[in-house]
Amino acid sequence: MINAGNLVWLPLYALFYVAVMLFWTRVAARENGNHETYFSAGHSLSPWISALTLAAASLSGWFLLGGSAEIAARGFAQPGVLQAGIVLALPGVLFFKRMWFVGQRLRLSSQAELFHSYFDSKFLVIVSVVVAVVFAVGFAGLQLRALSELIGMLSGGMISPLVASLFLGVVLFAYVGIGGMRAVGYFGVIQSVLAFTAIVGLAGFALMSSGGFAALNAGLQTLAQSPDGGGLFQVAGVIRFSAGLGRDAVMGHAETALTSLSVAMAFMGFQASPLAAKIVLSTRNANGFAAGQTWVMAGIVGGIIAFGMAIIGTAGLINPQLSLGGMLAQLQAASPWFMAWLFLGAVAGVQLLAGLGLLTAGEGLVRHIYKPYFHSSLSRVATVNLTRIVIALLALVSVLMQSLTPVTLSALGALALPLAFQLWTPLLGITWLRWITPAAATVGVGFGIAGVLLTETMGYEVLSFLGLELPWGRWPWTIHSAAWGMAANIAAVLIISAITNRNAFGAEAQEARRFVQSTLRMGRRARVLSAAAWSVALAWIFLAVGPGLVFGNFAFGTVDASGGAWSVGMPSIWAWALLFWALGVGLIWFLSYKMEMASPYLMDIPAYEPPRTLHHDQTRVEGERLRKLVVTGALAFILVVLVAFSFGS
Amino acid sequence: MSTPKTERDLLVFSIWAVLGFAGLAFLLEGFTRDSYFVCLLGTALIVAAFVAHIIVNFLFQQGFRPGETVLGIGAFGVLTFTFIAGVLSGSMSMVDYYSGLTLFSILIVGFIAYLSTRHGLRGAFSRFHVKTAVSEDSGR
Repeated sequence: MINAGNLVWLPLYALFYVAVMLFWTRVAARENGNHETYFSAGHSLSPWISALTLAAASLSGWFLLGGSAEIAARGFAQPGVLQAGIVLALPGVLFFKRMWFVGQRLRLSSQAELFHSYFDSKFLVIVSVVVAVVFAVGFAGLQLRALSELIGMLSGGMISPLVASLFLGVVLFAYVGIGGMRAVGYFGVIQSVLAFTAIVGLAGFALMSSGGFAALNAGLQTLAQSPDGGGLFQVAGVIRFSAGLGRDAVMGHAETALTSLSVAMAFMGFQASPLAAKIVLSTRNANGFAAGQTWVMAGIVGGIIAFGMAIIGTAGLINPQLSLGGMLAQLQAASPWFMAWLFLGAVAGVQLLAGLGLLTAGEGLVRHIYKPYFHSSLSRVATVNLTRIVIALLALVSVLMQSLTPVTLSALGALALPLAFQLWTPLLGITWLRWITPAAATVGVGFGIAGVLLTETMGYEVLSFLGLELPWGRWPWTIHSAAWGMAANIAAVLIISAITNRNAFGAEAQEARRFVQSTLRMGRRARVLSAAAWSVALAWIFLAVGPGLVFGNFAFGTVDASGGAWSVGMPSIWAWALLFWALGVGLIWFLSYKMEMASPYLMDIPAYEPPRTLHHDQTRVEGERLRKLVVTGALAFILVVLVAFSFGS
Repeated sequence: MSTPKTERDLLVFSIWAVLGFAGLAFLLEGFTRDSYFVCLLGTALIVAAFVAHIIVNFLFQQGFRPGETVLGIGAFGVLTFTFIAGVLSGSMSMVDYYSGLTLFSILIVGFIAYLSTRHGLRGAFSRFHVKTAVSEDSGR
């Protein structure tokens, strides 16, 4: 039974959170002045604000809610997760600086615009918007659902998860709908520090409850002595040729080194997502990317994941009473002021991601799909207001799905990262690999999406519903769908690039290519170091998240029936992960600064002025297009129902 | 554009969201456990929040804003009232009593030290020395 006095702290802190949110929303709305800077904060966010917001949005609540639960359930069988800080920073180093330069030259404010200007591809624009919607509704919705259930549990059932998720949805809409990108950035700073503090605080509590770091590891060693306990501290080889989850039982456990590598690839998807691009393109200058990726993302976030999340997870592994939910319940009973403060941090992290996702998805649906194809005469004010309505609808859909269709939400959420990872190829085309043609980028992403869908629950469930049973399940050969998609993506890109015209780019793309090549030419020292950079990066990937992880099984001790000999006082695989996290920070620093991939570069970038063209009145064509869309949608729905009725199980 | 004033405010909010709330939580924890050490930790965190706030003010070449001053003095007043009420009601333990005294002593000494370093000893006094304007027709 929870003491009634203890229940007051969570609402009290929530009140503080809402008050701060309203304050910063008001500041953002006033600075926006009019509707002009709603979507991108007038490209004026300070680099340190962007760095913090990017880091916390990447961390979101997944690592606290999902990552710690993963370790609590399966131990260190998937140690690639512990390198998330580094693998999240790698794409940031690779893309952000060049993406910002192209965006600034062409005055773009979103990934969809980037794809439209560079590849002139409607398909890539739609994919970018769909990925944003999947992040906003699925990925963030899944985390909000977990939080709502925790609120229900912590309130002793006084607040139902539905009411909690409605409250969280209203808070989200309030600041994103009113303040736009500026509110996401400003309030995001406070959400970021709260989220970081929450993980550090909970890890501290987990350590204290476990009796300290040595006692925690002694508990792990005892656990290793149990039957099948050794598997919790080892990677199960490089690969297992199984048919996938849900289709084939794997001997031992299913987490291999290639699972870690492919999961790391999925994490890399976040930095290629339209959400990350939204922050990057709203930033004032490119001076903060190196520091942000090196010290904030790889250093702080990486450390929080490798230490904090791992400690919370291992405490739950040894004693299920100390799993995240159990720990919060204990804190609620003993120190409700701590619990309220730390729980609020978890809420803040998830809300940051959800808010950013809602803004990006709302903007995408209205500015990049509805307006250009169905209502080009829509005024700026009307565009912003319509985006607000769409954001409210998306938040409502997410809340309803959290309560009514949690399984679908889970399947949808699982698609966000692997789908976003497929956007690597067009981004590489824009920033580094000039030989990727528009056709190749488009077809590659299409193949990548097919690869992801065919190896994820959502894809094979939909096909199964329509009467087509795939012979494999989720993640065949213990490889995450992100990697399957990328294999198909790369194959298509290579083939199509080889057979299509490499100069078939529009005027804006030509300008972007010329500008990047003339401005961001590598220095002599960086060119000399490039072979070393390749070697070091590939070696790190091989050993830290790739097949080399199997060396981590025994590098710092052994695991056997007697518990094994742990030469550094912790499981060998955890020590291995910590070592490569530290080396990873060095790698990111080297690539960012020494290789100049994200190094500060200050210059005034004049806007590119495209040749003037005549605009015709499109009202009639757009009206016709809208009618066709409605009719096609209705026919597709009827067709799916008929097929499901005829062949579905 | 996000102005230096906005950025300074963001940092101040972040500092208090972390150090201020941690300090408050440790103080409450100390009172509950009747532990002077835990209370002292809470006090140290609140002092750290003040120090960080002052550093941010210095970096952005700004002082405390009127709203912050009002909030700080208001919070100090509420704390003082609560402390005196606790003493008079006789429900305070010795740990609570000494923890409260420590917090108030540090806050008062810190406040005077801050004013002295910022305005000099004489200048600090002048901050409270209100000069009233003498109008021509005032009771001569």
